[in-house]
Amino acid sequence: MSLRGKAAIVGIGETPADRLGGKPGDPRKITSQYLAWAVRLALEDAGLTKKDLDGQGLAAIYTTNHSQPFWPEEVAALLGITPAVSLAGGNGGASAVSLLGQAAAMIKAGLVDLVLCLAAAAPFSEHGRDRMEPVDTRDFEMPFGVMGPNCKISFVMSRYMHESGMTTDHFGKIAVTARYHATLNPNAYLRKALTLEEYKNGRLISDPIRLYDCVMPANGGKAYIMASPERARTLRKPPVYLLGWGERNNASAGPRFQANPLITGIRESGRAAFEMAGVSHNDIDFLGLYDDYVPIIMLQIEDLGFCGKNDREFFEKTDFTFKGDLPIQTGGGIINCGQPSTTGGMVHVIEAVRQLRGEGGARQVPDAKIGLVTGLGAVNYGKNFGCTAAAILGNSETVR
Amino acid sequence: MAETSREIPKPLPEITPVTQPFWEAAANGKLVMQHCSDCQSWVWCPRPACVECGSEKLQWTQVSGRGKVFAFTVIREVVGRALRGFAKDIPYVTAWIDLEEGPRICSNVVGCPIEKVAIGMAVDVVFEEAGPGIFLPKFKPRL
Ligand SMILES: [Zn+2]
Repeated sequence: MSLRGKAAIVGIGETPADRLGGKPGDPRKITSQYLAWAVRLALEDAGLTKKDLDGQGLAAIYTTNHSQPFWPEEVAALLGITPAVSLAGGNGGASAVSLLGQAAAMIKAGLVDLVLCLAAAAPFSEHGRDRMEPVDTRDFEMPFGVMGPNCKISFVMSRYMHESGMTTDHFGKIAVTARYHATLNPNAYLRKALTLEEYKNGRLISDPIRLYDCVMPANGGKAYIMASPERARTLRKPPVYLLGWGERNNASAGPRFQANPLITGIRESGRAAFEMAGVSHNDIDFLGLYDDYVPIIMLQIEDLGFCGKNDREFFEKTDFTFKGDLPIQTGGGIINCGQPSTTGGMVHVIEAVRQLRGEGGARQVPDAKIGLVTGLGAVNYGKNFGCTAAAILGNSETVR
Repeated sequence: MAETSREIPKPLPEITPVTQPFWEAAANGKLVMQHCSDCQSWVWCPRPACVECGSEKLQWTQVSGRGKVFAFTVIREVVGRALRGFAKDIPYVTAWIDLEEGPRICSNVVGCPIEKVAIGMAVDVVFEEAGPGIFLPKFKPRL
């Protein structure tokens, strides 16, 4: 089923990231407050009211502290809306991009003509229980002192450096570029320029991962509203259309007991998105790649086919800034905007909408018509990401 | 943060009907993994059925315990309350070991200075007691 042009993003809402509750005496703000705030911003952006959401679609993303089985219903109760269809985002950081396709499918099927997709988390203000871990992690990683994703992605990065010969110069260039974009994004959290030297001097967290390779937790809420093309054309802002979409979970490059961890499921979800969109690599004006760690950005650029595997020269020669050959992380990415648990997956969707509306301000990609965003979630035992999704978005010119 | 004098426990595996044979063998100094009688694939981590062909005819089979370091990291910071018990061991090495038979196992490289650990290094399994009756398969450099 092609979803090309069958639904559009018509509203975005993003609260500033903060770390309230991290220090004694800080005012506290809880998840429901960030949710309500993000939804209000998204409704205002679209020119809709809360009442418009009754009888429509709701997609609520589970977060670390809110994974109760009825979370979408609780969100509806917190906001006071009555959805006709509820979806849950259970793909971790990939959920925001994954739900683009699921919401568009519901709209194309005619079940609803609006879908509100949202997520929020307040890890500094809400101290949750110990999280439920997957059984492989609980039984075969934690007893050995595996420190979560930091450790697991450091395995991937260690192998990547071994096979590709990439050095801190290569990783640092990506980190510095993303931070440069964050200095131009008023909604970013880390907005002070980062130098290559500072990147290289970042303290080792889990060799070879250093401080500036890692995403930073934050409190915050984010939302987007999708609509049918007919509805979208009646609303306030220029619609941003879903052109292509693909998802692949539990991908395994090679036998499942010994997969190649340097090939992610983005290879397949990205290919599906390109096929549905009917566009080529040259048509893509910018990339927003899920970035809980710097090396993962590079693996995705390879897996999407913008260069070959281990292509050091490509990473050395390409200008990844918003005015360059292949702009990436134009708003600074999750690494610089903060990661309110799985809400972080919204960062690239929201930034892509801004770019495709021409709202990119000082970091606007010139003449941006088409952007590609990805989402990643969970890190599987002995491999890389369990959940992967890719979407290609375009402005009105691309669906004529 | 101030720590109490009693030792902070490390997380232990939960023994389930699926994983019990693995931990029983480990307590007897044997590294075993599931092997599919139908498609001849190895299956790791333990599963109720073969993740390649779906067969439930999985045989627990002893493997050599010989392998090579495929990737590794040095843990330098504790992340998360559940893992505070590892603070006193820092820095230490966690690694992916590719066994001669094929499966990749996540474990520690022990009995070796951290700076000597390298990708491709040959290692052999050793079992370390982590709790009552729980023995973890770890890996030391082959002499
Ligand atoms: Zn089989």
